[in-house]
Amino acid sequence: MLCDHLEPLIESIADGSYEPTVEDARHLAGCALCSSRLARARAIESLLGMREVAAPSSSFTGTVMARVGQERWKTERVVDLGFNLAIAAGILVILAAGSGLAWSLGLVSVTIDLDAIWRAFGAEVAGRVLSQVQTIAMAAVLLTMTLVLWWWAETAAD
Amino acid sequence: MTGTSEHVLVERCRQGDETAFRELVEQYKGLVFSIIARSVTNRGRAEELAQDVFLKIHKGLPYFRGESRLSTWIFRIVVNVLSQERPELASTSLDTEEDARPRHEPVADDRAFMDLVMKDRLQKAIERLPVPYQVLINGHYLKGLRYEDLAEALEMPMGTVKTHLHRAKRRLRHLLETELR
Repeated sequence: MLCDHLEPLIESIADGSYEPTVEDARHLAGCALCSSRLARARAIESLLGMREVAAPSSSFTGTVMARVGQERWKTERVVDLGFNLAIAAGILVILAAGSGLAWSLGLVSVTIDLDAIWRAFGAEVAGRVLSQVQTIAMAAVLLTMTLVLWWWAETAAD
Repeated sequence: MTGTSEHVLVERCRQGDETAFRELVEQYKGLVFSIIARSVTNRGRAEELAQDVFLKIHKGLPYFRGESRLSTWIFRIVVNVLSQERPELASTSLDTEEDARPRHEPVADDRAFMDLVMKDRLQKAIERLPVPYQVLINGHYLKGLRYEDLAEALEMPMGTVKTHLHRAKRRLRHLLETELR
């Protein structure tokens, strides 16, 4: 019975965190099984304490810093790619908006008839442009915001 | 490292100061590598995993709120990296008394047991422990790691750490008495 009682305590006895009672001590001295267990536990305790402390190679820090740099570069590439795609999409939108504006101003034929371009610069077209000034202003604001975002992303990446 | 200097170092790292992060690596590489190398015997792999730990630290520093000590947080990352390396040992509950009893009683052969071969067998036995047990054993016998760090990293009360440490050693003994004889 005492063997079963002592078995879970063997490690505590081996590392000194549990002080065996007189009865425990008497049993440990007389019982081959328990004393053998205690000897093993003490051997383990001693070996664990003696294990060598491994040191990383001398190039360890340099390798870590290089990997950190690579990771940052990868992230920046993804951000750059995303941003460039966004810019391209923005330009397409602006071109489409410009084309739409030209169409709404009746300038579509300009691309077809060069004479019409000359006529389009006349006072009548100027008047039509002025009537669309809100749309033009909105397009300008969008373009400016895109350029500011571009500048911000480039600055943040540096 | 004092709390203030640790805080300053973390802040410098957050601001993208590479020198500060290099200092951090220098400061903790010994601890990180020692624990990993004691669980992963392949030295090359141990270095890779230790590097992975520092990459995770670099990525995670902006989110480190300083609620625990830096060493504790780093130690927790080590536990996670080791758990990912040995998933079959990661989720073993520490509360169970699985394998607590030897399948057969040891034969009195203490001379052989005390042999130098024991070191090798001990290492093999440690590698078969659940990762949290490995980390407890490896961390506890390294200088400079406190019970508090172990407790926080493994998210268990400090008093429980000692209990689990004894259980881990008990399981080691059983492995050495039986399967790794």
